[in-house]
Amino acid sequence: MKTYLLAGFALLLACCYVGNAFAADSGAGEVEMLVFPDSYSAASVSNGGTISGVVTFEGDLPEMKKLEITKDQAVCGATDKYDESLVVGEGNALKNTIVYLIDISKGKDFDKATKLEIDQKGCKFSPHVQIVPVGVRVTMLNTDKVNHNVHIFSSINKPVNKQQTKNRRKMPLAGVKKAEGPVAVKCDIHGWMSAWIAYVPHPYFAVTNEKGEFTLEGVPAGTYKLGYWHEACGTNSDSPASVTVEAGSTATQNFTLKLK
Amino acid sequence: MVNRNVVTLLMLVFGLLCAVMLVHAQNAPEASERGKEVYEQSCAHCHGTEGRGDGSAAENLLPKPRDFTRGLYKIRSTESGQLPTDQDLFDIITIGMPGSSMPGWETSLSADERWEVVAYIKTFYNGFKESEAPPRQISLEGKIAYSEQSVETGKELYVELGCVECHGNVGRGDGTSAPTLTDEWGFQTWPANLAQSWNFRGGADTEAIFKRFIGGIAGSPMPAFEGDSFLHFGLSVEESKRLTELENKDEMTEVEETESEKFYEKMDVAVDLALNRAEGIELTAAEQQTYDDAMKVVYEKSWHLANYVKSLAPEERPEPAIGKNVLRSQYVQGELPGMEDTAWEVLQSRHFPLVGQVVIEPRQFNPTIDSVNIKSFYNDTEVAFLFMWDDRTHTTGDEIDESTGKPLEDALAIQFPVKVPQGPTAPKPYFLWGGRLPVYLWHWKASAPEQVVEITAKGINNAEVQAAQGALQAQGAYTDGQYKLWVKRALKTDDKKDLQLEPGVFVPIAFSAWDGANGDVDTKRVVSSWYTFVLEPVPSSRRFVYPPLIAVLSLGLLFGLRAVVQRRNS
Amino acid sequence: MKRLSLFTICLIILIGSWVVLRFAIGGIVSVPIPGSVIAMYMGLIIIAVLVHISVEDSLFREFLRPIHETLVDNNLRVRRRVIAVLIPLFLLGYTHSIIAQRANPPGSPRDAHPSPPLELTYKDEVIGTMQDVVNPFRHYEKDDPEAFKAHVENGRRVYYDNCFYCHGDHLDGQAHFAPYLQPLPANFQDPGIIPNFQESFFFWRIAKGGPGLPAAGTPWDSAMPIWENYLTKDEIWDVILFLSDYTGYQPRTFGEAH
Repeated sequence: MKTYLLAGFALLLACCYVGNAFAADSGAGEVEMLVFPDSYSAASVSNGGTISGVVTFEGDLPEMKKLEITKDQAVCGATDKYDESLVVGEGNALKNTIVYLIDISKGKDFDKATKLEIDQKGCKFSPHVQIVPVGVRVTMLNTDKVNHNVHIFSSINKPVNKQQTKNRRKMPLAGVKKAEGPVAVKCDIHGWMSAWIAYVPHPYFAVTNEKGEFTLEGVPAGTYKLGYWHEACGTNSDSPASVTVEAGSTATQNFTLKLK
Repeated sequence: MVNRNVVTLLMLVFGLLCAVMLVHAQNAPEASERGKEVYEQSCAHCHGTEGRGDGSAAENLLPKPRDFTRGLYKIRSTESGQLPTDQDLFDIITIGMPGSSMPGWETSLSADERWEVVAYIKTFYNGFKESEAPPRQISLEGKIAYSEQSVETGKELYVELGCVECHGNVGRGDGTSAPTLTDEWGFQTWPANLAQSWNFRGGADTEAIFKRFIGGIAGSPMPAFEGDSFLHFGLSVEESKRLTELENKDEMTEVEETESEKFYEKMDVAVDLALNRAEGIELTAAEQQTYDDAMKVVYEKSWHLANYVKSLAPEERPEPAIGKNVLRSQYVQGELPGMEDTAWEVLQSRHFPLVGQVVIEPRQFNPTIDSVNIKSFYNDTEVAFLFMWDDRTHTTGDEIDESTGKPLEDALAIQFPVKVPQGPTAPKPYFLWGGRLPVYLWHWKASAPEQVVEITAKGINNAEVQAAQGALQAQGAYTDGQYKLWVKRALKTDDKKDLQLEPGVFVPIAFSAWDGANGDVDTKRVVSSWYTFVLEPVPSSRRFVYPPLIAVLSLGLLFGLRAVVQRRNS
Repeated sequence: MKRLSLFTICLIILIGSWVVLRFAIGGIVSVPIPGSVIAMYMGLIIIAVLVHISVEDSLFREFLRPIHETLVDNNLRVRRRVIAVLIPLFLLGYTHSIIAQRANPPGSPRDAHPSPPLELTYKDEVIGTMQDVVNPFRHYEKDDPEAFKAHVENGRRVYYDNCFYCHGDHLDGQAHFAPYLQPLPANFQDPGIIPNFQESFFFWRIAKGGPGLPAAGTPWDSAMPIWENYLTKDEIWDVILFLSDYTGYQPRTFGEAH
């Protein structure tokens, strides 16, 4: 009898705990997150395949919102700036979509030679979406001679809020310990500046270009879940696409996204 | 030999003491039922039962109550990105956060209860359990004492580091970035007005300012200025000075170019070390030395900056103009001084705190205007006032409030009764723009700075612009986060709806102020209850007549007494 | 050693008493004593001294002797002249300081707890007479503790949504809006507040706010809103339950006495 009672009690506790956990998730989950594998081991991949495709936008295209430049007009207001949360090009090509492999646990290593930089020229972050490998430094550029503060709203990693004074042309940021993201990047001095950083544990992430294209190269042969993330259109984490890659060949997977 | 033993023993004892203190500091509180109980009784209505900062009272509060689930704490003694110490949390609960709705709990909760609450709020964020090492505290060693020179150095840094962007030229929180700031949760937030030290959330002593600056204010737009993001990190004070010189040149010569490159290389090395350290890579002894040297400069400069910030505000809030401390208009002969006249400097201003209007809808629960400071002169026929109040933004009504359809605009209204109540028991008009008894108002708006409108009101929603205008001269200006309004009027007017002024009569006075950028419009504003104002009478000339008279009389009396006694004796 | 003259003794007693009253008792032992009270005590002491010296003729003569001597004795010329300068000088300064004193504003003779009207109303609805109306939810305290708790909790919500800006997190009238309101918001932790009034009194004060006060309560000064414009009748009764529950003070009742 006692055992049943105890078990029941434990079950009740567990339910409460799970309920709480869900409640916590729904509270914090304004931005949908990427899904990372539990572990990843890097090895050389020979004769890997390629996944490529095009991401297009479907639906009524809202008008591009012009950003209000409230200060440093000479530098920041020299060119018109638009809200980059939804950039749609010719043929409805959707820029700034992250396309990535959800369930890969073994594959190639990062290309260490690539320099990661986010420019703040004209008081605008470019690129708007940046993939940053865990542990790798990203350098903030400032060539305009205005003050910026780089504010990265991490919650798993240590949040960053650093002033980049006007004469500091390059400011490297420390590599992070855990995969996270995408996290928002803002400049509090120029309230309209906005970007995203995804801290990722493996190299199979791509961001679509103006034509909506993405390419994931060197993928070991196999079947994978292919996910996407877009600032305004959300993710497909619930029902990712399934793609089979054969050694040395290219698999194609296109996506059509709608506003959240 | 003996000496060495003694030293070893002392070191042992000292080490043990430190260890005990550390253990105590870290393990003092243990989460318990009692902590939960106290939390739910005293904290939950603002901070929420689950610590998310979403209690029922949170809706009307700004700054919002802290969300404990993220582990982001504004007021810490620890480095950027670190959790607060238990002592930090305990201190905030004990002292409260001035300028916000967080009160100090020293009198209403026992120290034990406060420790229990500390333990309990830590359970809302797992990071407290997971962190192995105690948080790194900001070192207060090498504090530089306050001096004029230190303040000067700090002032330069204030500009170079970009503090002006948000806090403004003289620190009134009126920087060009101030209106667009939001916090971690997306709520609007205003930079601190450094001239109002009584509203500093974490206290106004130099150490507190230093800690906010080095450690940042987590969750707010205030960056941390420790280490590698500091101006010219890795350079000595002299080198930094030289580089600033070079950087401020429009164009560098080739020689200068090489010179500056050398500095940049040196900085890159130091920054690299700082990042290694942050990433957990161990530094060699030589590298550690380089890093420590760089940090020494950072800390030294930061003390100068802290001293400068300290210099921007009075030590304490000025005494409010209550009781004997009333606004006394001083008599002058001849012309009254204009707005920019230096004659005003001889007067000390009177301080009138303002509070949000929460009596009548729409109400203002989160005021941004703290107080209005006033000086006044009068002569035989006129009276002049100088009103000064801090407002972070200059809003002149370009934007329209959606709910009322009226322009959002900065403004000030000065309120008097139409008739001065005779005697202390005589009724006054209702403090919010009158009621049964009318009030006489001077209404000034930022969009028409040279104009003050005279109004008669019998209630906050029952105001009438007077038919006869023009009795008042006015001049208004906005500079560096402060409004100045100069108003002049004749003591006596022909208008029966105006207040007539007479020296020596105590006149009730009250204020309303609007900050358009804070959504103030109509009844949504800051107000005061009735204060008092008087045209201080010219000291009576009797003071030169009666005292000598009495002195002479008393002398005569003494002589008379002596004569009487002498006569009686003889 | 020369014996002190009676006059000197009296002088020492007077000055000594004043110093003790002004600085020792008022200041070190307790808060400063008001000037008028000191003047009263000093008057009593002077009367006592006068009574003492005038009981016997010899004593009185003994008392006057130093004065006589100072006035006429040629050996005491220096003392006489010093006094002839000091007394007029002192009076000169004293009268000047009185005349030059700045006038201070009249104090407010406010009655913090003026008498309520005979009838208790909510908006225009008459609830009953002030004497007889009781909190309709008070009886739950005995009859249905769960329901009572729910009402207190609702009162807590009402309080922290509306009242704590001025009356404070701990109901002690020390909130962030409070320090610059004149009069200060009520302090419910003060043992002189809740136990001294019936719940109907609190209902009246909350429902009608500052403007509902009679003239003795200076309705023009109080920043207390007219809460019947914002709160329901039940919410007001609930918040009253919360006030007494939180502070532990029971409002005054008349019901059981009858």
